[in-house]
Amino acid sequence: MDDSTPPPPAPPADSLPPPPPPPTMTGSPTDFLKGVVGKRVVVRLTSGVDYRGLLSCLDGYMNIALEQTEEHVNGLVTNRYGDAFIRGNNVLYISAAEPL
Amino acid sequence: MASQILPLELIDRCIGSRIWVIMKSDREFTGTLLGFDDFVNMVLEDVTEYENTPQGKKKTQLAQTLLNGNNICMLIPGSSGPDDA
Amino acid sequence: MDSAASGIQEPFDLIRLSLSERVFVKLRGDRELTGVLHAYDGHMNLILSDVEETIMIVDQVEGSANGQNTVNIAKRKIDMLFVRGDGVILVSPPLRT
Repeated sequence: MDDSTPPPPAPPADSLPPPPPPPTMTGSPTDFLKGVVGKRVVVRLTSGVDYRGLLSCLDGYMNIALEQTEEHVNGLVTNRYGDAFIRGNNVLYISAAEPL
Repeated sequence: MASQILPLELIDRCIGSRIWVIMKSDREFTGTLLGFDDFVNMVLEDVTEYENTPQGKKKTQLAQTLLNGNNICMLIPGSSGPDDA
Repeated sequence: MDSAASGIQEPFDLIRLSLSERVFVKLRGDRELTGVLHAYDGHMNLILSDVEETIMIVDQVEGSANGQNTVNIAKRKIDMLFVRGDGVILVSPPLRT
């Protein structure tokens, strides 16, 4: 070893963890869902029935928990639910009803 | 055939451009493709939904939308949809 | 996250919090149930008791345009019921106060 070369400076022991990578706009389904939780959404089922409400959470099957839910059939409100669990196999799409 | 392109690679190259989605049922979507996953669930932006109902054709405008891949039949890259064809 | 306040991290929490409560269940084939939820699993198979089933039967009126249909509603009571999960569209717990 050439001891004339100074050792590289050791990283400070209390250094902060590396900053999180800049928010990459990949736009994947997972990213969309992260952004839309807590927002107002329209969930349309394959039957054509719409559920409008606040998206509480969802899972990998697209099972959905909605709050303040309104059921719309042919543009008319046909039911209201405080909370609603929607089984994911019926879901056609989840659409943002307010800007993300 | 190392040069052969996989179907989903083609769709990956469509990210950022318009795409026409035809469902198994009488329903179609167009929008700008933002992303998709292995199930071909798709995130679209500036979406138009086209429904062919017995009462006639119906169009619905949607903001950012996650489309369930389960009911997708065909994808047509670069097309603005039925109005364009 | 807003949902933290209500203690719901995943959709099934909504069902878990409804055990022993009267729930509304919407099924495929224009069926609706209300009953007391005793058990559920990951398929959304359900056990309900003290159930009232409502069936909507839409009769096409002869020679009329769409929208001229009559809807007959049939109801019946069932003491104890197993619901196969794949028929479930929606489950709504009672309003929490």
